[in-house]
Amino acid sequence: MRDDEIRILGDSPKSPSGKPGGTKWLLALVIVIFTMLFLIALSEYKQQNVDEGRLAYFERYVEHAEVPKERRTPFGRVVDDHVGGFCEIKDTIINDIPLKLYIPHNADMTLHIGRIPQEDESVIYVAQAADVRADNGGIVGAFVLNGKPLAWGLSKRGYCASINGEISIGVAENTHLFEQATEEGGYFFRQYPLVDNGRLVENEPKGKSVRRAICNRIGEIFMVETYMPESFHDFSQALVDLGVDNAVYLVGSSAHGWAINEDGERHEWGKMNIYRGRRGMPKNTSYIVWRKRL
Amino acid sequence: MKKYLVISTATDLVRVAPEKIVYISSDGNYSTLVLANDETRVLTLQLGQVERLIESQLGKEGNTFIRIGRSHIINRSYIYYINVSRQKLVLSDNDRFSHMLNPSKEALGQLKELLERDLR
Repeated sequence: MRDDEIRILGDSPKSPSGKPGGTKWLLALVIVIFTMLFLIALSEYKQQNVDEGRLAYFERYVEHAEVPKERRTPFGRVVDDHVGGFCEIKDTIINDIPLKLYIPHNADMTLHIGRIPQEDESVIYVAQAADVRADNGGIVGAFVLNGKPLAWGLSKRGYCASINGEISIGVAENTHLFEQATEEGGYFFRQYPLVDNGRLVENEPKGKSVRRAICNRIGEIFMVETYMPESFHDFSQALVDLGVDNAVYLVGSSAHGWAINEDGERHEWGKMNIYRGRRGMPKNTSYIVWRKRL
Repeated sequence: MKKYLVISTATDLVRVAPEKIVYISSDGNYSTLVLANDETRVLTLQLGQVERLIESQLGKEGNTFIRIGRSHIINRSYIYYINVSRQKLVLSDNDRFSHMLNPSKEALGQLKELLERDLR
């Protein structure tokens, strides 16, 4: 369909299933099925009479199939290890809230401070991580960069750590992961908690904005972004209904970032040039960065 | 029996009478349904998928809808004003709502011709 074309819908010829001959076939099929069912029932009845004649009574034991507690399956598809890293991008709607899911494959997450060159082909996902203080440009909340602690505050109870390739997302005032990140060359930052063990966490800030989060759902780590401005509450509720176990916020609104899909196409959001001109980029602006393993 | 357009996803279902739909616009992987009561609803379907749903569910009655270019499916009952040279298409019930769209001149020309042909 081109932009200079119009088309009236519903004018196309009917599909073959709509042909009158289809009804005949359907009727014949129903008659065959009924005949077969009748024959089976008749043979069962005869067999039952024979069994009763033998005076053998056993209560039939019906084994109840166990209902699996965990019915959730990962959102991302299965990808071979030898495939180069990329970000699978999916659209969904939960509670009338359109969401975009960014699911990294064959990639590892680290943190980074300062602008990330867009030419860096190893990067498959970038989003702003911790908040920066407006007064002195310091990082809000505890922050560890490649084993080096850069901030120690506790203004937000949500945390995300990446240590030796393992990502932990949770809610706690104190966690050993901060120390572990410093000891083992890992990464750690704090943000608003959104979901704690499948339960919604309320947050103070009101108003609506484009929201982003990093989530853990049955061990699958992915990022979520709202299509339209949403409140913290509605966003958290949508994540809960999405089946997310734990989630913390990532800087939303016009914060700049991008993802690279399997075809190498760049999906960009936010404003890159917001810090140009007289407004310099705060020196402590931090990002979560997913890089290809291969 | 009255026909409805039913759009179902994994989590929700939208059921709407065709005459209540004013137009559907495309926004990448999403489509936005604009209704006669001024309500809008975002769907996780591309416009082409919505087009196929209309054709399969409404059949011939679907011909009240016209796909215009890549970006819109409109309900022809609400066409109120067309200006080809200024690329203007106004959909209105001449009472509560009025929506202006800007399809291509070529598409608008064809739409105008179609409506004129219907008069003959």
